[in-house]
Amino acid sequence: MKDLVTELKEKTIAVLNLDEMKPEDIGNDDPLFGDGLGLDSIDALELIVMLEKEYGIKIKDTSAGKDIFKSMNTMASFVEANRVK
Amino acid sequence: MEQHRNVYIKSATQISLQEPLSERWLESPVWPKDRYVRSQNPDFRSWLSPLESRRMGNLMRRALATSLSALAAATIEMPGAIVTGTGLGAIENTEIFLDQLCREGEECRRPTHFMQSTHNTVGSLVAIHTKCHAYNTTYSHKSVSFDSALLDAFLQLRRGITSTALVMGNDELTPSYFNILTKAGYVGLPGQVPAAEASVAMVLAAEDPQEALCRIDDVGLAYGALRIDALPSEFDAVMVGYNGALANDTAYDRLLAALPTKRPVLHYKHLFGECYSASALGLYASAHVLAQGVAPAMLRRDDGDGALEVRRLLFLNHSGAKNFSWVLMSRPENKEL
Repeated sequence: MKDLVTELKEKTIAVLNLDEMKPEDIGNDDPLFGDGLGLDSIDALELIVMLEKEYGIKIKDTSAGKDIFKSMNTMASFVEANRVK
Repeated sequence: MEQHRNVYIKSATQISLQEPLSERWLESPVWPKDRYVRSQNPDFRSWLSPLESRRMGNLMRRALATSLSALAAATIEMPGAIVTGTGLGAIENTEIFLDQLCREGEECRRPTHFMQSTHNTVGSLVAIHTKCHAYNTTYSHKSVSFDSALLDAFLQLRRGITSTALVMGNDELTPSYFNILTKAGYVGLPGQVPAAEASVAMVLAAEDPQEALCRIDDVGLAYGALRIDALPSEFDAVMVGYNGALANDTAYDRLLAALPTKRPVLHYKHLFGECYSASALGLYASAHVLAQGVAPAMLRRDDGDGALEVRRLLFLNHSGAKNFSWVLMSRPENKEL
């Protein structure tokens, strides 16, 4: 699980162009949206596309995104449980 | 009879191959040597946090930096209109989006490049950033895109529809598009000025000569043929866009030969390069020449040497010798030489 969290951090930084951030700058339980990392709804779309491309996960219920993308740990748990590649 | 208001350029800024957001080129310009020269970017962190700018390509960052600088120089927070000219729009994002579409199909396309690949991306971005809900439009007509935007803003100011307007010219040039334009014979010809990029923003205001760079007396566009008798006849110098390509330069030669009054000729593309928004840099240069009242010798194309005193200047531009534009500009009456 720890490796997947780091992998997700790296992919998130790359896909969202967070050039000045490193994986260690993002806490595993830090909120990704709002006051945490400061991501917004377009970033959420980018993350949904990233999960589909990288792990073959299709998120049909977009309202579920709020819980999935709460933190890196919640995203990693969701990927671990649903990945098809 | 309709009362026309005077229109002034209050501020004008650029990001190009010259030093960005600066008029140092008037004294010590960069002399471009390559066939393809990209713009010098300033440190964008003065205007945008890394989180804000992470989705923006060069075109958007440059447009925001020039716009916010021009608005600050004119001490205007929110313009009464935002009018943009661009030949290619956000071509870098368009290329990325289309390239991914070709390689990976239509599923799983990332939203950012799609959203920001339209021609009016820049105008929208500046409106969002300045919280400006006023008139906002974008013109895309090859090399007279900026000129079309300027005419729109000029007419609105002249007729009292708005009191201030932010007018922009923005074009970026990717390596792949440079290759396409080279094959088409638009840039990259032997002896031609370099292919380049342009981001220009200027604030126009009606009936406000205080601290203005210059006054715009007339703006015109013509398609097909330019009627010389429609052009103003009283001016000290003509600014044109010679670029070293035979067809382009011959069209200017014909225009200048047909003018009833022979006046010194100035040019600018040898310093700024060629692109679809080059005329925006030409008008920016003309405004600053009028502001200081003197055109430096390096801008002179005619036989004369040394600096030239200029109070009234005719700016001429054409696209493929089919679309023509002209702008008559003069030093504000309250500016003494």
